[in-house]
Amino acid sequence: MVEYTLRRVLSFIPTIIITLTSIFFITRMIPGSPIAALIGHQAVGAEQIEAISSDLGLDKSLIDQYLEWLPAVLTGDFGTSLFYEDSVVQVVMDRFPVTLYLTVFSMILTILVGIPLGIYASIRRGRIADYASNVFSSLGMAMPSFWLGFLLIILFAVTLDWLPASGYRSPDFGIWEWLKRLILPVLAQSLAQIGLVVRMTRASMIDVLDQEYITMARAKGLPESRVVLKHALKNAMTQISTVVGLTFALGLGGSVIIENVFALPGLGQLITIAAVRRDYAMLEGGIFYLTLVALIVNLAVDLAYAYFNPRIRHTG
Amino acid sequence: MSKKVFHTTLKRPGIRRWRLNGMLIAGLCLLLPLAVIAVFASWLSFLDPLSIDASSQLLPPSWNHPFGTDNFGRDVLARTVYGAQVSLRVGLGSMLLTAFFGVFFGVISGWYRWADAIIGRFTDSLMIFPGFVLAIMIMAAIGPSEFNVIISVTVLYVPQVIRTVRASIVEFRSAEFVDAARTIGVGDFRLLFVHIFPKAAGPVMVQLSFGFAWAVLVEAGLSFLGLGTPPPAPSWGNMIAEARDFIRSAWWMITIPGGMITLAVLGLNLIGDGLRDMLDPRLKDRGVL
Repeated sequence: MVEYTLRRVLSFIPTIIITLTSIFFITRMIPGSPIAALIGHQAVGAEQIEAISSDLGLDKSLIDQYLEWLPAVLTGDFGTSLFYEDSVVQVVMDRFPVTLYLTVFSMILTILVGIPLGIYASIRRGRIADYASNVFSSLGMAMPSFWLGFLLIILFAVTLDWLPASGYRSPDFGIWEWLKRLILPVLAQSLAQIGLVVRMTRASMIDVLDQEYITMARAKGLPESRVVLKHALKNAMTQISTVVGLTFALGLGGSVIIENVFALPGLGQLITIAAVRRDYAMLEGGIFYLTLVALIVNLAVDLAYAYFNPRIRHTG
Repeated sequence: MSKKVFHTTLKRPGIRRWRLNGMLIAGLCLLLPLAVIAVFASWLSFLDPLSIDASSQLLPPSWNHPFGTDNFGRDVLARTVYGAQVSLRVGLGSMLLTAFFGVFFGVISGWYRWADAIIGRFTDSLMIFPGFVLAIMIMAAIGPSEFNVIISVTVLYVPQVIRTVRASIVEFRSAEFVDAARTIGVGDFRLLFVHIFPKAAGPVMVQLSFGFAWAVLVEAGLSFLGLGTPPPAPSWGNMIAEARDFIRSAWWMITIPGGMITLAVLGLNLIGDGLRDMLDPRLKDRGVL
């Protein structure tokens, strides 16, 4: 396990470089456009444009820019945001906790609801409970999360007036002040994830429950709860943990839009605004850190997978 | 090394049992009416989705405006129908492109080892990003427009199709019928696209129908953020974005486009599920995402 962990962690380094390289070349597919975004509709002379572009290093070739950029970002310097006039990393770090709370809470909710519901559906296969959970998960996956967010606002904030419609307070204002502004966003973000996890848990449980060793365990008189929760679940967990990792990446993508709906000052909102304004330094930094979180979670999932399924350690 | 023997009829049946299953029918029932109305919108005498009428702002549903009007007095029914056209175009366009590039690069990558190294790195580096974030990044670079949404959905989805196609091709690389075909002098191109690929086409079709659903969601999300189809075009995502300031006063503005997205995506997912079950009942509820 130690060796596998080491190998897996080392393979992280090239991944980071590939990520950064892709970010650089995708965001700069059209060179020069940040200037257009920066000057907006002002009338600006050609000399001024030249001055700005040499200021930003945009007059150099893309490869030269890349070779300057990569060592800088590897040491954690994404430059200065065009609009915030502050170091990108600083702004990102300020916003980071909000996104982390949102994704981690919805992940917890997803696991707590999705896995048990999936297990329940698998043991009630073909019964009403199974169909009900199928309808629930299909609908959850079909609904756009941002629209669901608005429906939740209409119900819980406008009509019932139980929870605030949007905004954010840091935990310094008190736990409830902080939590109550996260409840609706977390719900909106989780539903699709729960739907996915329910379906995959159900599928992998059914896979396992049909195997002979389960029949054997039942035959020797073990209580059904023990058969399902210990013998079957442990084997199904390998697949389920992969799906949970996948869901997390999906959730990070979705958080971008959810933060926008609920006016949460997180990384996702930052990325959207940077994208609309073509604030490339900000966009690159924001996307890198968001992706980094996804990568770290993936790593954790891989390690969990190897833990649940020892074969991986020796062949992978 | 011993050659694998493929019982092609048993192992990869392709979609040949056209006995319709329940999920496929349900999906088609949801989707077809929507698609038909969208395609024939201009013959069905809907109102102009763009015409602004200051005297009929924010009207609730009525006989003249079954889905009400928005804050510019535009007919929500007409905008919903023309919004379906946008989603349909984006979904179809991106999935056609995805099919083309996914199959082409997937086949090449599964067959030629030198290409596999290059294409593999390329797909890996795209799949690092959380999907929607990649879409935002691409839209920020190439600018908001309907065509660019098609491009970015394609870039998002092509790697997955490449992987599926590649896996099936690799599986067949050492099959006996391939050796047999080569022995009688069938060229690489013909072998790959006429003999091998059709056996792998089923999973791709399933993937494309899920991809279509994903495309509808991505288009809506991007447009909602102001990075997709630019307003005043009546895309469902735009309609939700415009409705957000009126959720207290005009519920019809936000519920209708969102409900339409849900119906369309549900229908497409059901079609994908149905196709998958027809393809291989053992795959039920598994894997293809």
